[in-house]
Amino acid sequence: MSDGKLNCALSEISIPEPPGAEERGRQIVAAAFTERTSGRSELRGALAPKTSERRSRRPLPRLALGLSLAALLAVLLLSPAGAAVRDWVDDTFTASAPRPEPTLARIPGGGKLLVQAGEGPWVVRPDGSRRLLGDYEEASWSPHGLFIAATKGRTLSAVEPGGTPHWSITAQARVAVPRWSPSGERIAYRSGFDLRVIAGDGTEDHLVAGSTAAGTPPAARISPAYVAPAWSPDGKDVLAYVTGTGRLRIINSETGTPLAAAPALRRITWMGWADGGRKILEASPGKLRLRPVLPAGHPSRPALGKARLLPLPPKASVNDAALAPQRSLVAASITYWKQHGTYSEVVVFRPDGSQGLLRVPGSLGQVEWSPDGRRLLVAWPGASQWLFLPLDGGRGRAVANITRAFSPGREPTSFPRVEGWCC
Amino acid sequence: MRVESGAEEERLVREAQGGCSAAMAQLYSLHWRGAYRAAYLVAHDAAAAEDIAQDGFLAAVDALDRFDRRRPFRPWLHRIVVNRALDWARREALRRRVDGAESVFEPLPPPEEIGGEMIAALKELPAEQRAVVVLRHLLEYTPGEIASMLDLPRGTVNSRLRRGLDRLRETAEAEQLAEGRR
Repeated sequence: MSDGKLNCALSEISIPEPPGAEERGRQIVAAAFTERTSGRSELRGALAPKTSERRSRRPLPRLALGLSLAALLAVLLLSPAGAAVRDWVDDTFTASAPRPEPTLARIPGGGKLLVQAGEGPWVVRPDGSRRLLGDYEEASWSPHGLFIAATKGRTLSAVEPGGTPHWSITAQARVAVPRWSPSGERIAYRSGFDLRVIAGDGTEDHLVAGSTAAGTPPAARISPAYVAPAWSPDGKDVLAYVTGTGRLRIINSETGTPLAAAPALRRITWMGWADGGRKILEASPGKLRLRPVLPAGHPSRPALGKARLLPLPPKASVNDAALAPQRSLVAASITYWKQHGTYSEVVVFRPDGSQGLLRVPGSLGQVEWSPDGRRLLVAWPGASQWLFLPLDGGRGRAVANITRAFSPGREPTSFPRVEGWCC
Repeated sequence: MRVESGAEEERLVREAQGGCSAAMAQLYSLHWRGAYRAAYLVAHDAAAAEDIAQDGFLAAVDALDRFDRRRPFRPWLHRIVVNRALDWARREALRRRVDGAESVFEPLPPPEEIGGEMIAALKELPAEQRAVVVLRHLLEYTPGEIASMLDLPRGTVNSRLRRGLDRLRETAEAEQLAEGRR
């Protein structure tokens, strides 16, 4: 067969298309586009007069540029929201990076860590001893640390911290982001494009939001990005997740019934329930946002209120954020450019303002609260260290050689990730 | 609606960057079928192709502000879609190897449409060869453009193309032979 005939045969291929696929996609893309445009116009509205014309690419005259910068600085320093931003200009820190200890001999403040490294998840006991749980891809603690939900391929397992499997199920597609409910009675997880919930004993597995193929309406599908679902901390069957159309959706985890929805933060990477279930914290690479969850007259039908951004330094990128257990505190690790260098900070947001805990040159990574909410574990991948910072301003501790500690006898590949610090 | 020229498409991209939803809707109408077709031919799964094409458009919407509108929109979108479809196909192949699982999605209907044998033959190719053949012979990109889209050396593109076409040709000739016997 000649190239020409082959080409002709290839070009004649007729392709099956699911009914309504184009229209479903149109709605999703239109919703995402509207969300992007509205987010951008909010930003424009805050900083510059509204105009229907696009800004000219011609460079601004120097005087106009100077006046704009002065005006912007005045807005930042004098407005109520800017008062918090001003703190970033002359900030003080309660701690400097402590001198590192060479090995992890104990966990400051106690508790057990679940750490994901190249070979799989590790359980670290309070005395610093560690054990590889098995060949799993992801893991997360049950609320009291009695079990670990672990995934590998299409398998979801509940494993004891010593490594003994309790139960396993095989899903229809690759399993990811398992999360235990606060009562320990349910695990929400993702399987392919489906969001599912299973009982803590491995029974009653059911779909709560599916893919297009499963007949879920486009607006309710889970986001293609792997933003983990989050359980309401009040013990009710209430679950939040992000849809493919960029909406934050709250549902009843047993029935899948929608309870409330609002636009999610653009490029959202993480979310969690804050303040005892009264707020939802969203994080994206450039923003942190709190959205109130209102009772709306009936506890089982919450509504979402107006979202508020947490103040960050200009152009700061958010490396990670975490909510303190039982307390309305948010810790964040951020990185920004200042005085010809890149710096990272650990910041704790309180209801009455923010507190800088630490600033180091370079990039910090993950933040994780201790179970008692009194200290933070901060990852410093560039220095291969974990920093343990107390909130009360006491002396912090640092542990070096973290990458190597979780790659015994082999070349380290990446910095380990803390999946949880448990009780 | 057809875009008569690159200038027209440039105008649509410019207006979409400015926030015009009608322009974005036109870009979607123009490019949905091509994006779905590319995703399907690499992934060989209708539901996955729908999700991949949607994800491609969502990624394009997200990156619209950074898009250089002097460049054509179609290859930019196809680059996103084909790479995602390749990732999906690799994951599926790995999953099947590991646990011999059935597809997550509904199986394809038997190939009765025009070119059904060719679809089946394409499906037998490794995902990397399939992507190159689809980009070259169905979406009509040059080997240089494909090399840039898939971040591969041009020689690798040419060799994958040749190997893929040789296997397709063998399949097509075997089909013709069987047809003659019937």
